[in-house]
Amino acid sequence: MSLERPDTVDDGAVERTPDELEALLGDLVVDRDDHLNAPGFVIRPDTVQETLRTLKEQAGYDHLSVVSAQEYENRYESIYHLKKYDDPTQEVSIVVPADKDDPVSESAEPVFRTADWHEREAYDLIGIEYDDHPDLRRILLPETWQGHPLSMDYDKDRPQIATLPEHANPLEDHHKDAESDTMFLNIGPHHPATHGVLHLKTVLDGEQVADVEPDIGYLHRSEEQMAQSGTYRHQIMPYPDRWDYISAGLLNEWAYARAAEDLADIEVPEYAQVIRTMGAEMCRIAAHMLALATFALDINGDFTATFMYAINDRERVQNLLEDLTGQRLMFNYFRLGGVVWDLPEPREEFFSDTRDFLDQLPESIEEYHNLITSNEIFQMRTIDTGILPPEVAKNYGATGPVARGSGVDYDLRRDDPYGYYDELDWDVVTEDGCDNFSRLLVRMREVEESAKIIEQCVDLLEDWPEDERNIQANVPRTLRPDDDTEIYRAVEGAKGELGIYIRADGTDKPARFKIRSPCFSNLQTLPEMANGEYIPDVIAALGSLDVVLGEVDR
Amino acid sequence: MGTAPAQLFPEFIVDTLGLDSVIGEVAASLVAAFVVGNIILAFTGVAGPWAKRKITAAFTDRIAVDRIGPYGLLIIPAAAVQLLAKELIIPEGVDRPSWDIAPILLPASALLGFSVIPMGQLGPINLQLADPEVGFALVFAFASIASVSLVMAGYASNNKYSLLGGLRAVAQNLAYEIPLIVTAMSVVIFAGTLQMSGIVGAQTETLVAVAGVSIPSWYAFVNPFAFVLFLTANMAEIGRNPFDIPEAPTEIVGGYQTEYSSAYFVLFYLGEFVHIFLGGAILAVTFLGGASGPGPESIGFIWFVVKIWGFFLFTQWARAALPRVRIDQLIEIGWKGMLVLSFANLVLTAVIVGVIA
Repeated sequence: MSLERPDTVDDGAVERTPDELEALLGDLVVDRDDHLNAPGFVIRPDTVQETLRTLKEQAGYDHLSVVSAQEYENRYESIYHLKKYDDPTQEVSIVVPADKDDPVSESAEPVFRTADWHEREAYDLIGIEYDDHPDLRRILLPETWQGHPLSMDYDKDRPQIATLPEHANPLEDHHKDAESDTMFLNIGPHHPATHGVLHLKTVLDGEQVADVEPDIGYLHRSEEQMAQSGTYRHQIMPYPDRWDYISAGLLNEWAYARAAEDLADIEVPEYAQVIRTMGAEMCRIAAHMLALATFALDINGDFTATFMYAINDRERVQNLLEDLTGQRLMFNYFRLGGVVWDLPEPREEFFSDTRDFLDQLPESIEEYHNLITSNEIFQMRTIDTGILPPEVAKNYGATGPVARGSGVDYDLRRDDPYGYYDELDWDVVTEDGCDNFSRLLVRMREVEESAKIIEQCVDLLEDWPEDERNIQANVPRTLRPDDDTEIYRAVEGAKGELGIYIRADGTDKPARFKIRSPCFSNLQTLPEMANGEYIPDVIAALGSLDVVLGEVDR
Repeated sequence: MGTAPAQLFPEFIVDTLGLDSVIGEVAASLVAAFVVGNIILAFTGVAGPWAKRKITAAFTDRIAVDRIGPYGLLIIPAAAVQLLAKELIIPEGVDRPSWDIAPILLPASALLGFSVIPMGQLGPINLQLADPEVGFALVFAFASIASVSLVMAGYASNNKYSLLGGLRAVAQNLAYEIPLIVTAMSVVIFAGTLQMSGIVGAQTETLVAVAGVSIPSWYAFVNPFAFVLFLTANMAEIGRNPFDIPEAPTEIVGGYQTEYSSAYFVLFYLGEFVHIFLGGAILAVTFLGGASGPGPESIGFIWFVVKIWGFFLFTQWARAALPRVRIDQLIEIGWKGMLVLSFANLVLTAVIVGVIA
């Protein structure tokens, strides 16, 4: 059976009970604060590094999914959601309260590199300061912004009128001494290859990149705050479509659906789970087709045929999604407890259309292999460029095709099963090249796996007895999850681990809604891949990361 | 050649109109140059706004410009009006007048190259402006002025992307001009002359005759290896995929042309297209028998047009299908690969010609 994990289980994968973990951490634990998904340990703000290092090195928790921060009436709080790459069902939350008047907490950056951006975001939006952080600046909002928008005393009505006196000179200290001869170059925010509004502050030494720093936030739309002001039942579901808007809508919706359903203890009917699984994999194909298309654009140039061919194939799957959901981009198809409506009538037509698409897909993939992956120039450009070693990928919390292209065997569909995935026969794709080529190859092979999943779903749906087609569970009109319940749940989005942290406060709206965007963590690895390479390789590496800025900036 | 070489175009005008004064000859030359220049510009006009779009669309499974006029042909005047009517934006800090000269220099240098190209006969007219003894050297000299224009544009734009594009253009031209000319030299060894008409003339004999079909001794057939080398170097010389590195819009946003708009932008585009056609013309003259082809010599011009448009089609095909190489890889291919191969080809040709002839 393909879904079984490989036998190589090291000591890190040994599962420990919460009490054993507490014993391991010893005096570091001040209190327990369990979440629905994981045991939670409260620690002092000055022992963050020690605690996380112990868990990472002695208990094998090597994946810092996300840092979610929030403000309470009497304290600030950062939560480090830890997991294992080998088994993401083993989770632990480290809760770090910080003083209300002087919210300072130790940074986790020396233990997990990925904490860098996550803590900057917490500082930017909530206002917690992190000691020992290498570069604590605002990340999503402009550097002149006054106040922290998700903190309690933030005045939304106050106009932001502070002007920027002067930009810091990027060449002031590093990369500029008497001998060196470097040039600072802004790539973006408007540039043909940044796939959205991304700004890369680049320091060039000739054509080679001495340093690159992604500057994000241009597409920040307060998605978290908007979700916090919507009711669980209906008002939040439309937002996920707008995070990764590259037709990965259903995958995003599933992230919210999974978190909220587990929070409110809703059981989804099997029939709806099959439809969800099918729709989600269609979205994955559409998303990967666009990734392939734009990557070809980056490598080949503007007039490449590959781009249009891939867009054509994406169009076909998009038509199927339109038949299914009634929408082409912002699907809003999932509901808590199921999906909004059944398959389109006549069902036979939908099934035959889907099968037609699946039948021609191998031919298309073959064509892409002929056009790009087997082209010598293409190989010359992508093999051994943009190297991301597996250890570095893990340290940055990289997930999805980016991690799997570095040989990290991590796919939540198999490792933390949801929906109908564990009933189906398919494989997790990994490549060991760690380069731009591997990441592309992973996506191309994943399209084939998704096709396998869709085919099995279609078979199931075709034979589903008519009186058992239950598309929605009974869900109360208003959901009020219990006060002070917290949950972090993730699904395998098109780009990787897309997670949602929700804290309920007994009302019908979430008190804190935090999105763990895979692109956010993946984009952080760009400097690791790009430094020392040529400009075209930076563009290629960025393309192979396949970031969607709507999801990075939220 | 079978018949006596036809008169050059300016001489033809002088004779036909009976202008035998110096002023008359100058006027005739200008008229002839005007006619030839306009033929090339007309090609460009068709190629840029219409043919290129149609070709690319065919390669990429799309439908392109078909709304205005038959086959969408009226897009040509529409595009011309649209492009010229746009505002010319002059960025702060550009280095004038070199910023203004660069877009004029590029099409001018490429057009100058056509002065010595024997484009074949159309009826009684032999469309060649001049046929100096060093014509072959001259045409390469004209063609390489283009890189000066790219450097000027790149430097004068006061933009880092432009500067990178300009630097890339120099590096690329240095790396490919030499293999290009060395490969062309091997043809000169065959033909024994630098005169354009002589090189074309040397390719008219029959190489082999198979079942009544005689294959002419075009140098592409005589020395296919040199042809491939020349074709590759030529693609780099005119900066088309996989060697469109000086522009590379997805990397350096169009390189040297980043800051140009309106008429200047049109001039750059014009220059690039004329350059592609000049590249095709040089290829046709050097390796594809110039204007020769089936039928009487008086329709030679048509064959010539077919050949240069064939080359244009080839560049567009490459553009739709091939990835772009990286700048360091390009330099490596140029200096370590092409240069060595082209010298090997030259020596081999010299030995063979020396032993056989």
